[in-house]
Amino acid sequence: MQDSSLSSYSPKPADFIPLTKQLDKHGISRPSLSYWQDAWIRLKKNKRAISSLYLIIGLLAFTLIGPLLWSINPNLQDLDAISQGPSFSKQALIVETPANWGGVTIDNFPSQPSPNFSGLLSSTEQIEIVGQATTQYVRLSWQPVEGASAYLIYRNDHIPESPEDLGLPLGQTLAGNQVSFEDRLQLNAQAYYYTIIATDGFNEASTFTTQQVDLTLAISARQADLRNIDVEVGATVSLPGHPFGTDYLGRDMLARTMYGARVSLFIGIIAPFIFVLFGTLYGGLAGYLGGSMDNYMMRVADFVIALPFLLFMILFKVSFGIGPGENGIIPMMLALILLAWPGTARVVRGQVLLIREADYIQAARLLGANTFYLLYRHIIPNAMGPILVTLTFAVPMAIFTEAFLSFIGMGVAPPTASWGSMSNQGIRNMLSSPHELFFPALFISITVLAFNLLGDGLRDALDTRMRGNE
Amino acid sequence: MLVYILKRLGTGVITIWFIATATFTGMHMVPGDPLTTERGMTDNIRENLERQYGLDKPVIEQYFLYMGNMLQGDFGLSFTEENRRVNDIIRESFPVSATLGVLSLFFATMGGILWGALTAIYRNRLPDIIIMFLVVLGISVPSFVLAGLSQFLILNLNQTMGRSILPVAGWGGFEYMLIPSLVLGLSTMAYLTRLMRSSMLEIANSDFIRTAKSKGLSTQRIFISHQLRNAILPVITVLGPSIAIITTGSFVVEIVFAIPGLGRYFVQAVAQLDYTVIMGTTVFFGSFLVLMVILVDIIYGFIDPRIRVQAAK
Amino acid sequence: MSKTLALEVKNLSVEFDTYGGVVKAVRDVSFQLNKGETLAIVGESGCGKSVTVQSIMGLIPTPPGRITSGSAKLDGEEMLGLPTKLLNQYRGKRISMIFQDAMSAMNPTMTVGKQIAETLVVHQNLSRRQAMKEAVDLLARTKIPEPEQRAKQYPFEFSGGMLQRAMIAMSIACKPEVLIADEPTTALDVTIQAQILNLLQDLQKEYELSIVLITHDLGVVAKMAHQVAVMYAGQIVEMGEIDDIFYHSRHPYTAGLKAAMPSNKAHEQDLKVIEGSPPDLFSPPKGCGFCARCDYAMSICEQRPTPKFQISGDHYAHCWLLHPEAPKSERQKLDSFMKSERSDVT
Repeated sequence: MQDSSLSSYSPKPADFIPLTKQLDKHGISRPSLSYWQDAWIRLKKNKRAISSLYLIIGLLAFTLIGPLLWSINPNLQDLDAISQGPSFSKQALIVETPANWGGVTIDNFPSQPSPNFSGLLSSTEQIEIVGQATTQYVRLSWQPVEGASAYLIYRNDHIPESPEDLGLPLGQTLAGNQVSFEDRLQLNAQAYYYTIIATDGFNEASTFTTQQVDLTLAISARQADLRNIDVEVGATVSLPGHPFGTDYLGRDMLARTMYGARVSLFIGIIAPFIFVLFGTLYGGLAGYLGGSMDNYMMRVADFVIALPFLLFMILFKVSFGIGPGENGIIPMMLALILLAWPGTARVVRGQVLLIREADYIQAARLLGANTFYLLYRHIIPNAMGPILVTLTFAVPMAIFTEAFLSFIGMGVAPPTASWGSMSNQGIRNMLSSPHELFFPALFISITVLAFNLLGDGLRDALDTRMRGNE
Repeated sequence: MLVYILKRLGTGVITIWFIATATFTGMHMVPGDPLTTERGMTDNIRENLERQYGLDKPVIEQYFLYMGNMLQGDFGLSFTEENRRVNDIIRESFPVSATLGVLSLFFATMGGILWGALTAIYRNRLPDIIIMFLVVLGISVPSFVLAGLSQFLILNLNQTMGRSILPVAGWGGFEYMLIPSLVLGLSTMAYLTRLMRSSMLEIANSDFIRTAKSKGLSTQRIFISHQLRNAILPVITVLGPSIAIITTGSFVVEIVFAIPGLGRYFVQAVAQLDYTVIMGTTVFFGSFLVLMVILVDIIYGFIDPRIRVQAAK
Repeated sequence: MSKTLALEVKNLSVEFDTYGGVVKAVRDVSFQLNKGETLAIVGESGCGKSVTVQSIMGLIPTPPGRITSGSAKLDGEEMLGLPTKLLNQYRGKRISMIFQDAMSAMNPTMTVGKQIAETLVVHQNLSRRQAMKEAVDLLARTKIPEPEQRAKQYPFEFSGGMLQRAMIAMSIACKPEVLIADEPTTALDVTIQAQILNLLQDLQKEYELSIVLITHDLGVVAKMAHQVAVMYAGQIVEMGEIDDIFYHSRHPYTAGLKAAMPSNKAHEQDLKVIEGSPPDLFSPPKGCGFCARCDYAMSICEQRPTPKFQISGDHYAHCWLLHPEAPKSERQKLDSFMKSERSDVT
């Protein structure tokens, strides 16, 4: 009777001892998890979402704790350090607050060449550095050249090789016997090559003299005072660097990015929180009431959705009486809340309608559950997932809106820093100092990215349809 | 179908009325009388304005006057520029914005469908990973940064080539439109790519694709006549909102690239508090967007048989 | 054997890679389908019925799915492991399939007629117009009223039963030798169910169709099947002619399934359920899969895979109780249980 080909084992009588039933033996081997536990486990598996979560925590720390560690006043202007690239802490010499310099004029030399001078203009023999060359000023003087009516001064980063290589002159003296020049134009602590060319008003000398000048970083006594540095003139102090560089007014970009984060994240997190809350209440109420009330309420929401969002953001700002260039953080939030709630309301209403009609609610009702219990135990936990996801996606939207409005000059206005307004300033100097746009733009992008990825992760983790797929 | 279209148009008209009223209310909430502020306004303009808007009359009457003008398509006169009608501003600058918008919508839709389909085909392989990385960037980087960056790149390109390959800013032929419309459409393209990808993957796992396979259809045939067509449908439904995003996005792009479009005028008008231009352009933009959304809905109705047939009943 | 085989499946095993590990969904399944007959595959949900037939049709998504061994021969020709291009010379043409939920199994944006015609265009090189005419014809043959109009309609305009008819029309378009029906009536009302089953029987006679019918409904099996294979936890536990299974069943699981069938007898108070749940297929038990729920389990059942025992002719079962050395008492227990059930059925 036995199909021997399929069984090579010949059982012994001992194999045939009856067993008692062990139903739990092959039962469900995995522990049962609550909805949120399950969601959390799924979220933890999503590496992108978790790194985004850490990134967001980092951003919050940057905003809230950052200014405590980096205690530079974000509004302190330093006209000696305009639009400088990122740099680290450096030594600076404290010098006297520069007084006006009379310059050097040689009295016994003609201010204009005599009309009978007919020789070629030669180059000056030597250029002297007067005093110490610091980033406060560079003072130069040189030997007068016969036949000159003026001198052109050039500054270069490299040794100029030919007259064509000089570029545009930095300045010009007004007479042949005026043989000095003071340079105070955006000096950095580096080597410059100054070139003097004599001119008679029509022709320039064909030869020129170049002098290398190494500048020492220095701040004036007055600026030291402003920064509460209590050191004598001539001493050297250590100046904090600008890891993110400085902006067009010499303000520290790192400090401004931190303070800007406050505005951007304040709008980006508080506003969504409020309008999602309002939308939830509105949508929940509409869904709960149902019938014609629901109909009317959602009609209103439809109209608000139909309004062109950014256009009305701007319009609201105008109608709140906030002129261009004036600050309007609270009005901006108000407008955002007024315009953005219907999206959430729709989602929540849909959820509530869905849950309300679900069989398990009917069952709970039949078992005598009251409205409060239903809300607390069934409706809110089930609607919570979509609400949380909406909230996460509302944050990048709000941050983008703030940045967009501030960028076109309708949002946060100077001197208050926000990432949007910093970008607005930054894009104007983009070609000469890209870092002014780069850092605020980077922070906007990272924040938006982090919230988007977290939202994606949350949606996947909380989507009940996906449960049990693994 | 006609009933469906009429119904959509009906709600559209109500929405436009709502937009016009909201605009009117918004402008009347402005504290103080805009006419009495010490702005550089000539007596001539002031007289015209008072006549046109009946500013001495009660608010209700002003409202009806305003709605009457709007109905006739008359948006009034500029506050700040003498003898310049808002209609003229719109007539001059809207075609520029519309060209830019249509072009970028075209890029966004075509790109979105193409990249989305590609990523779905190459799911979890290198092309998918690269494109999705770019998509995430496209969604996260604000348009003004992209605009600035692309200008920077054009400038460098022109410098290294030693001649002008692409104009850095301004408006003219197609070479002026190319980069701004790409920048303008990029975030929408990224969004549509994502949508198309997930839609493609959802369809790929659907029962009717399994049926098509069981029928012995070739992979290409299934892809084209079953998967693609159904996957594109959700992309079309979001075209309406996409138009709105592109339109408002043009504010930034027009400013950065110095394009004389309506968006730039609007931003300028807000900066100068030119109330009539603000009101006019808001209502115009709003109505335009509402009509576009309706148009997309109607087109969708024609494409999706589920709506077409139900509407016909 | 005088009967010729339409479809022969041997030692088929299918696995799925999931986050939790490898699921061994189908384990060493073999069955045969005679020409012009119906083979019913019965079992509870998740036992691997659908995976079995879908892997024959090449519909298992790979990855995560993977056919680890086995063969499936259609009229002697191997189908497993063929590249899609070659497989498409069988699918839809010589072997076709209908699915449980016709509404989701049809393309929502293509007219029903066009979906039927598509098969004909691809496999029989008909022109579009010819194919469309043929499609209308097929709809008429599956007793759909007003086939001309219906062909131009979309799936959502059909009722569930009508759409299932259209689906059947689509599947028989190329006059296939084998039709696989994956729970074709599960989603339908009982009356519609009967109509669809009648239609299948009529078509079977007309086209000499061989049908593989997947179901969990023994009523459907009783009506349709010539041969029955009972599946449990990815394996076939008992197989035989319909009468063998219904009246001479020798496997405790089959017995339990039959006992769980509702009846209209007045004295029956409760449905008899099979207590417990199927084993975790992440790590299938070493021995018999049913062991933990079996009233007659013995120590060997836990340890050794059950061999195949021939009971009579084509009737086989996998159960250690059938071993000659198994204690008589246990077998008698099962026999007496069977007897009591039999009296109910008859």
